[in-house]
Amino acid sequence: MAKKFKITICSGTTCYVLGGAHLMMLAEALPADLKDQVEIIDSNCIKACQYENALPPFVQINDYLMAQASVAKVVEYLRKH
Amino acid sequence: MTMNYINNASLLKRQLVVRFARLMFAGELKNKIDLLPLHQAPRNSEAVRCCVHHDRAVIRYRLIALLGFAIENEKPDDEARTLSSYVEEAEARGLERMAGSALTVIDEACSACIRANYRVTNACRGCVARPCMMNCPKNCISFENGQAHIDEKACISCGICAKVCPYHSIVFQPIPCEQACPVNAIVQDKNGKQDIIAEKCINCGKCLQACPFGAIMERSEIYEILRAITNPAEATVALIAPSIVGQFNTSLGKLVTALRKLGFDHVVEVAWGADLAAQKETAELIERLEHGQTCMTSSCCPAYVDAVNKHISNIKPLVSDTLSPMQYAGEWAGQQWPGARRVFVGPCIAKRAEAKASPHIENTLTYEELGSVFIAAGVDVAECEESRADLEATSVGRKFAVSGGVSTAIKNAASAAGHNVTDKVIDGLDAKSLAMLKAIEKVVKPGTFVEVMSCEGGCINGPGVISNPTVARRFLEKMLQEHP
Ligand code: SF4
Ligand code: SF4
Ligand code: FES
Repeated sequence: MAKKFKITICSGTTCYVLGGAHLMMLAEALPADLKDQVEIIDSNCIKACQYENALPPFVQINDYLMAQASVAKVVEYLRKH
Repeated sequence: MTMNYINNASLLKRQLVVRFARLMFAGELKNKIDLLPLHQAPRNSEAVRCCVHHDRAVIRYRLIALLGFAIENEKPDDEARTLSSYVEEAEARGLERMAGSALTVIDEACSACIRANYRVTNACRGCVARPCMMNCPKNCISFENGQAHIDEKACISCGICAKVCPYHSIVFQPIPCEQACPVNAIVQDKNGKQDIIAEKCINCGKCLQACPFGAIMERSEIYEILRAITNPAEATVALIAPSIVGQFNTSLGKLVTALRKLGFDHVVEVAWGADLAAQKETAELIERLEHGQTCMTSSCCPAYVDAVNKHISNIKPLVSDTLSPMQYAGEWAGQQWPGARRVFVGPCIAKRAEAKASPHIENTLTYEELGSVFIAAGVDVAECEESRADLEATSVGRKFAVSGGVSTAIKNAASAAGHNVTDKVIDGLDAKSLAMLKAIEKVVKPGTFVEVMSCEGGCINGPGVISNPTVARRFLEKMLQEHP
């Protein structure tokens, strides 16, 4: 069965160094009730960093591109949707 | 584990290093460095401190530290100096090593944390018994608007008031850097700002990780290093520490290529030096035990070695004489490529102090700094091809990155040589483990090898890492499984 959320964590160098490293803990940090609703993908640069004034790290949740992502922000987003 | 949690102060610092490195790659540092504080804290942005001007003043000092200068040396008139004049001075400094401590405190950023460690919260009911006031040995508690008040100047932080309050309304508030320092080397000066006492400091970097204002900076060598790698006439070697695995969420082979793309001519795995150190240290251990010594400790962590020299010199005879993996690898590189600039790339600030005193290493760069340099150069590590280092290691040396790796290597090598040794791992330095080390001969069984790491968890939790140590450890284990 397809999961409700497809989460792509960008671990290109720009994102990874500027805060993305901590997103690698997302799987562990997800509350139990959300765990089986998400599929987490670890991806190379998703090219969002190449825009002027981009705010890495980036996470793509289904169609939504989250800038300055953090574990807490991702969890909050999942709760609201 | 003292956690390498996500921290805005360190992210801002990484962004600044990206801007700094971009200017260096463009050859415009001297012309444009004075604009960096304005770019990093633009006029209409939300200030982190009281206002953008204060933010910019702090950024200016960060840049001075990035250029390798100690902020403590600033003379009164220097406040009016341009950053580009500092660049000129750094340029003229040439190849000389920077004298003095590896760390510097930005007074302007230090928030002069509370003087007294105890604070009355709003939970105070101003009760009739007033045990805090009655029991304070310094008489420094008075009542204002029905609540207790501590006179910070008179308070000696004894904690009696907190203990006796029936509502638990007095809390203990540590000074983060002081609390983190294992050797009491960082203290408040008369203005409430922190000073590092060089004679006591072991450059472990714990205070730097602990300060929520990012007030403690390392005196970087990034200027020298970038200048060398962008100069085609200068040969450079990157000596990568074992803990680099897992710092960029990618393979070692890709990292090697990425380093070459930055301009390093050669790449050497310091884990090769760790392989060698493990052999030498085992032979040394066996010999020492045969001569009746009770135990021997490791010598690869320079913060620990410094702690012995400065604080528990009674156990000096127990510390191994074997050089650190960094130095063996540097020595090899020096023979291989005479005259090349050897840059140790690692998680560690204490290594910077060790390198300064060593003939085998010229500079050190942290992973954080390397990460920012990759961004500035537009090198995406994960998208690089795999390539091989000029000198590779075995899994024995690669395990030196996590606590327990050194002692396992030595125990195994000793047992292969027919000697049974026990091991003990001191995972992280603090006042308690230092006290234990002081009496280590009485604590361990005869015939023990003692591994000591200043950072809890080992170098993967060093002060200059990017990855969360849990993630880095996972990565390292995976790699060791694939390349046993
Ligand atoms: S010993 Fe460590 S914590 Fe203490 S001042 Fe030096 S670097 Fe900071
Ligand atoms: S444990 Fe490693 S990173 Fe930490 S101070 Fe020692 S050598 Fe440096
Ligand atoms: S590195 Fe994440 S979008 Fe480019």
